Amino acid sequence: MYGYNGRALVVDLTARRTEWQPLDEDVLRRFIGGTGLGSYLLYEHCPPGIDPMSPENPLIFVTSPLVGSRLTTSSKFAVLAKSPLTGFIGDSLSSSFLATELKKTGCDALVITGRSDSPTLLSIDDGDVEFLDASDLVGLTTSQTELAVKRRLGHRRKVACIGPAGENLVRFASISNDGGRQAGRTGPGAVMGSKNLKAIALRGTRAVPAFDPDRLHEIGLDLTRRSLGPATEKYRTLGTLANVSVFNRLGTLPTRNFRESTFELADRIDGEALHEGHHVKNAHCANCTIGCEQIVQTNDGGPTARGRMEYESGFALGPLVGVGDPNAIIRASRMCDELGMDTISAGATVAWAMESYERGLLPSGENGGPELRFGSEDALTSTLASIGSREGIGDLLADGSRAAAQQVGGGSEGWAMHVKGLEMPGYEPRSLKTMALGLAVSTRGACHNRSSAYEADFSAKVDRLEAGRERGRITMEGEDFGAVLDSLIWCKFLRKAFDNLYEESAEIYGLVTGWGMDADDLRLAGERINNLKKAFNIREGWKRTDDTLPARVLEEPLPTGVAKGAGLAPDDLDMMVGAYYEARGWTEDGLIPESKLRELGLADVVGSQV
Amino acid sequence: MNGERGALTVELFGMARISCGRRELEIDVPLDGDMEGIVEALANACPALVGIAIREDRTALLDSYTFNLNGTTFVSGGEARLREGDRLLLFSSLAGG
Repeated sequence: MYGYNGRALVVDLTARRTEWQPLDEDVLRRFIGGTGLGSYLLYEHCPPGIDPMSPENPLIFVTSPLVGSRLTTSSKFAVLAKSPLTGFIGDSLSSSFLATELKKTGCDALVITGRSDSPTLLSIDDGDVEFLDASDLVGLTTSQTELAVKRRLGHRRKVACIGPAGENLVRFASISNDGGRQAGRTGPGAVMGSKNLKAIALRGTRAVPAFDPDRLHEIGLDLTRRSLGPATEKYRTLGTLANVSVFNRLGTLPTRNFRESTFELADRIDGEALHEGHHVKNAHCANCTIGCEQIVQTNDGGPTARGRMEYESGFALGPLVGVGDPNAIIRASRMCDELGMDTISAGATVAWAMESYERGLLPSGENGGPELRFGSEDALTSTLASIGSREGIGDLLADGSRAAAQQVGGGSEGWAMHVKGLEMPGYEPRSLKTMALGLAVSTRGACHNRSSAYEADFSAKVDRLEAGRERGRITMEGEDFGAVLDSLIWCKFLRKAFDNLYEESAEIYGLVTGWGMDADDLRLAGERINNLKKAFNIREGWKRTDDTLPARVLEEPLPTGVAKGAGLAPDDLDMMVGAYYEARGWTEDGLIPESKLRELGLADVVGSQV
Repeated sequence: MNGERGALTVELFGMARISCGRRELEIDVPLDGDMEGIVEALANACPALVGIAIREDRTALLDSYTFNLNGTTFVSGGEARLREGDRLLLFSSLAGG
């Protein structure tokens, strides 16, 4: 077999037993890899209705056919589990050499089930599995853990681990890997923590050959050339931080828990300002030629913090909590990475707490701590720390904004800014109507990446301030395009470098695997994967009322900026959701007809139950 | 076309701002002209934008940049249809991330 190992390694932590699961050509062609193959494995290995924190919830790491090909941006992996935040499908992507190392151990996917009875370090060395004691790693931050594992097993190892947040079952805990990269969204680190699994250390030597390496090399060089052109200019210069100033000007920068969409201190924290005052260098993901990462450092004479900074982290730990000091944001982002938790959910949950405090629903500064007011840098960092340790108010917030609001009540559910339990990213839906639909219907909750629906809003194709039925098809096509990217796996920042993603990727797939695939096959695979994700959610109790947006979005018009007065009426959202179901060929209730399952080749996987 | 001219403020974002060394600049253009004329006037006002946001032949923006009028309307080309006092935003066409 070319391009794949043709098997998954299944590890049972309870019984300390392993087995190999064959993955045949039919499955691999249908679900490709990454989030597609991961969704297939999750559907199979996750018993319906389980508690996401139970031993039965599988934690699945998945590579892809392109991993190991050395094609630019292709060293990525997906992590899947039933999400402890949403109760629905949880999937997260990360870029690092962990992907190539995992594939070289001899598997396409690693499925971890069960729960160890003590803290465990899972060692996988070319397919040889050991369950090692990790008691000495308990309480260590993510960077400390990775360093300790490498000292113990050798620096050649690639490491995935959790920090204190994962150990303490913070529901938005991330999995840190290969030098501090994060698989952050939907809480995979909490699932890892629930298994008493502190770290995974990989070493592999079995490179998987490509079917036509010479032609693949030629195409790879051309793709590399294109990756250095205008199609990636923004990412290669200021990175995603370039969004801040533009979003603020367009009235789409969520501020103070989505009460506003412009931030008066944006010019202190935008990409241009950080480039001027904090930029250390650009960095690259594994096997990536784009190099979008902005390594930034504090400059205020306080404790030095240095690390990667993306738009989403900057938004969530800045405008969303009213903080306009770049040094405070850099420190908060670094703190999240070290504790091992998703910056978006962390910032959004703190923002909910700040608003709840200001409205008198939460007590004043615990144990002499700072008041939880918007703009308080001390409140931000002390609350993040308390979440990571689940101490004081952190214990409430560690379950995410939805659960916290349900417990506190008092109307705070209306300003818990999440969809299906996953906190909202930095895109204001009232001034980005296509994105509003994308956020509402996304299977993993409030996610901007799985549909990239914002692309239409930031173009002349649509009027971003007006709702419309055509957004249904736009969002569907964006999701299917995204599913192909996330399964092969390409970085989204490479998407504009393709003249035709489907045609070019189909050719590359053939060169890697030797299996014929055309553009239509690939497009159909994207649709199949999104339907499988939806089928998982339906099995877990999804209802049409889950495809909605927070009450604030549906009830309060924006008060500032060029989008002042823009809102999103519930009927308009309902209209767009209905148009999306229609575009997908689903029922009015958003269910998948059996005929659609057969058309997509999913009937044997999910039966007729959806 | 009546040839009426007017002042147009161009707000710069991202590398356009950094390469020009300023946040905005003003250009004098025919209000009923086309976008090609606006791009040329912009290139004359700030030559550093050529190769960064503007094509070398100064006839259009690079694919990686876009115009937005007054923060509300994306401009895809053709006639400008501007009014005195309009503000044109110049930023990356690569949305999101």
